[in-house]
Amino acid sequence: MKLLLEHAHVEGIRYYDTYRKHGGYRSVEKAFKMTPEEIVEEVKKSGLRGRGGAGFPTGMKWSFLAKPEGVPRHLVCNADESEPGTFKDRYLMEFIPHLLVEGLIVSSFALGSNATYIYIRGEYAWIVDILEQAIAEARNNGWLGKNILGTGFDCEIYVQRGGGAYICGEETALIESLEGKRGNPRIKPPFPAIQGVWMRPTVVNNVETLAAVVPIINMGGDEYAKIGVGRSTGTKLLSVCGNVKKPGIYEIDMTQSVEEFIFSDEYCGGIANGKKLKACIPGGSSVPILPANLLLKTAKGETRTMSYESLSDGGFATGSMMGSGGFIVFDEDQCVVRHTMTLARFYNHESCGQCSPCREGTGWMYKILKNIEYGKGKMSDIDLLWDIQRKIEGNTICPLGDAAAWPVAAAIRHFRDEFEWHVLNPEESQKRNYGLAHYADPIHIPATA
Amino acid sequence: MSEQQNFKVTIDNITIEVPAGTTILNAARMIGGEVTPPAMCYYSKLEGSGGKCRTCLVEVSKGSEKDPRPMPKLVASCRTTVMDGMEVKNITSEKVLDARKGVVEMLLINHPLDCPICDQAGECHLQDLSYEHGASGTRYEFDRRTFEKEDIGDYISLHMTRCILCYRCVYTADQLTNKREHGILDRGDHAEISTLLGKSLDNEFIGNVIDVCPVGALTDKTFRFKNRVWFTKPVDAHRDCPTCSGKVRLWMRGDEVFRVTARKDKWGEVEEWICNDCRFHKKETKDWVIEGPSKIDRHSVISQGHYVNTEKPHVLIDKVIGKQPKLLLDIHKVSDVNRRDVDLSKIEGPAHSDDFKKNQ
Repeated sequence: MKLLLEHAHVEGIRYYDTYRKHGGYRSVEKAFKMTPEEIVEEVKKSGLRGRGGAGFPTGMKWSFLAKPEGVPRHLVCNADESEPGTFKDRYLMEFIPHLLVEGLIVSSFALGSNATYIYIRGEYAWIVDILEQAIAEARNNGWLGKNILGTGFDCEIYVQRGGGAYICGEETALIESLEGKRGNPRIKPPFPAIQGVWMRPTVVNNVETLAAVVPIINMGGDEYAKIGVGRSTGTKLLSVCGNVKKPGIYEIDMTQSVEEFIFSDEYCGGIANGKKLKACIPGGSSVPILPANLLLKTAKGETRTMSYESLSDGGFATGSMMGSGGFIVFDEDQCVVRHTMTLARFYNHESCGQCSPCREGTGWMYKILKNIEYGKGKMSDIDLLWDIQRKIEGNTICPLGDAAAWPVAAAIRHFRDEFEWHVLNPEESQKRNYGLAHYADPIHIPATA
Repeated sequence: MSEQQNFKVTIDNITIEVPAGTTILNAARMIGGEVTPPAMCYYSKLEGSGGKCRTCLVEVSKGSEKDPRPMPKLVASCRTTVMDGMEVKNITSEKVLDARKGVVEMLLINHPLDCPICDQAGECHLQDLSYEHGASGTRYEFDRRTFEKEDIGDYISLHMTRCILCYRCVYTADQLTNKREHGILDRGDHAEISTLLGKSLDNEFIGNVIDVCPVGALTDKTFRFKNRVWFTKPVDAHRDCPTCSGKVRLWMRGDEVFRVTARKDKWGEVEEWICNDCRFHKKETKDWVIEGPSKIDRHSVISQGHYVNTEKPHVLIDKVIGKQPKLLLDIHKVSDVNRRDVDLSKIEGPAHSDDFKKNQ
């Protein structure tokens, strides 16, 4: 089922004429015949959930937007996609930029935003040009600017480049950065829906969320809600990387089982080089890693499917999260300790430095993990790591603290024996001879903490 | 609708009525005593401060009368406003004490612990915090973070290694002076307070950043290494100052003025900002009209041996736990020095063992 990437492979879809020929901007024509409230209602009916990571229902988020008289409102598109393992928004913006522009126009109309911003990751410099060209084309064809299609609705889209900080993907840090300040997350409440950009009511949505508004309007919220399963409606883009035969971007309707997704030829095509599946991070680097046995089946023995609910089945003890859709697959040769160390280094580098537990704790975790990885660790370090992550999680302003703590917690929870192997075999781990770190029985249900 | 709405909030089993919009921390401060969470970054006089250090985390066990659900996470009491019927647990919550211990540990892992040579020692909030909530040892086995030394002017010395990044000085410079010259550079644990291209801080109110700094990161260069704060005696004084209120606290030893600071309230916050002229240049007794010794906390180490004008601590533990705490040991029964009938404030100079024998 392809909704977003339906025309992704059409030659020249990046340009307005081809895009329009393939049914582009139909949703704007349709939306402008509706009232803004009706559009919000359609999005609510569609059951669309935020594609940025948290999975919060988009319609509900939109209905929270405060609408005081005489105060402008803003829509901000969060294109600061910096989660290791996630690159779906890049693909969307690079190849079908008009889909995002179209979604932005409809959403801006629904929310009453006359100035809409795309906050794009600084490293996506070449995409800025692509987006700006798409916006210029849309304006030249009358989809943007003053009095669009004679409805009296004015809208401009501005592209703002970020400075390359992961933290600016957090919505309040993004707003601070957009305002030209240091990208420190704000303390909530007040939420952006009340006080966002320049203290005005603001909605911040992910690229994929806003693009999904286009099919929702085209086919109607009820029809969209029929795709998918349970509360996981519609289609989701997944960016697959790691040791699979066919890494890349896949659009799924969330009904597939994880096993089918990894091993079928339609999707990832199985593990590369004939190796065995060891573990997988199903939703971007900050969600818990799952060992193969818990990935394919839940702790209750049910088949795990690629939906929000199923992936988080079992909580963090035996489950994970859909997150932002960065699907990272590990084969049997990969070292979880090394991987956890790499992530800890990332979060240490990207912590904004406001809250003490995250600022100091991420660095501490990285140093301990480095010691363990290079064969200088002690057994007590593993418990210390567990204690540090416990003291970071939930005690910080923004979710970066949690995002730094969860991978470490999950790695210790599911792969404690591998950490112990590193401690017990310092020489082998100094030589980084991970092949020896295999379990006797790779499919065992670990005791959960 | 009444103009001033009052909310009932219960903190550690003590109920108080506060105006709507009060934060949990300020409600706890109204109660006072042990139930007040510590605050390293919040500063009531600075708009927007707080929420960063995470030492004031409390557990909200009941959201409000209308919505009694507890809050899922610990919340920063300095930035969370009270709701009617809210129930808050501070020292009665194991979770809070555990998290706070964690925060103190995190604050200390990269702190140099150079208290013996730090001018802030004796009036350092981080010292107080770690005495009260910290562990006796550290589990941190790595090199502590260091920074290149930076000169930020003739009056203020910056020790970035001691900084806990509370942002108070940034807010002070933002809100007190019309142009801020320093800020936070970089990110995460390598973030540092710095000026643009090593410029020096120059503003007639910038000296106040020394007073707001909870640790020894920003100290007074004119007082540097001159004396320990506990050997000096705080005296309230004032002068006619054309720029500020002129109400200050002199730190004296004998007749010599060692240091001038703003007057601080019992939460360690400046009552009235003072100008650089008063702070750095008026260091003689003849510049000032002396009002008398400042009130100090009885537990303070300041003014060692000169227990004049002390404030009795506000003890609430019996109300919090609902009964008188059982003492493991009554110090007055075993120690001659701490006898109740000896009033330390009546003794001239440092207390001596002879003072206790006399009364026997």
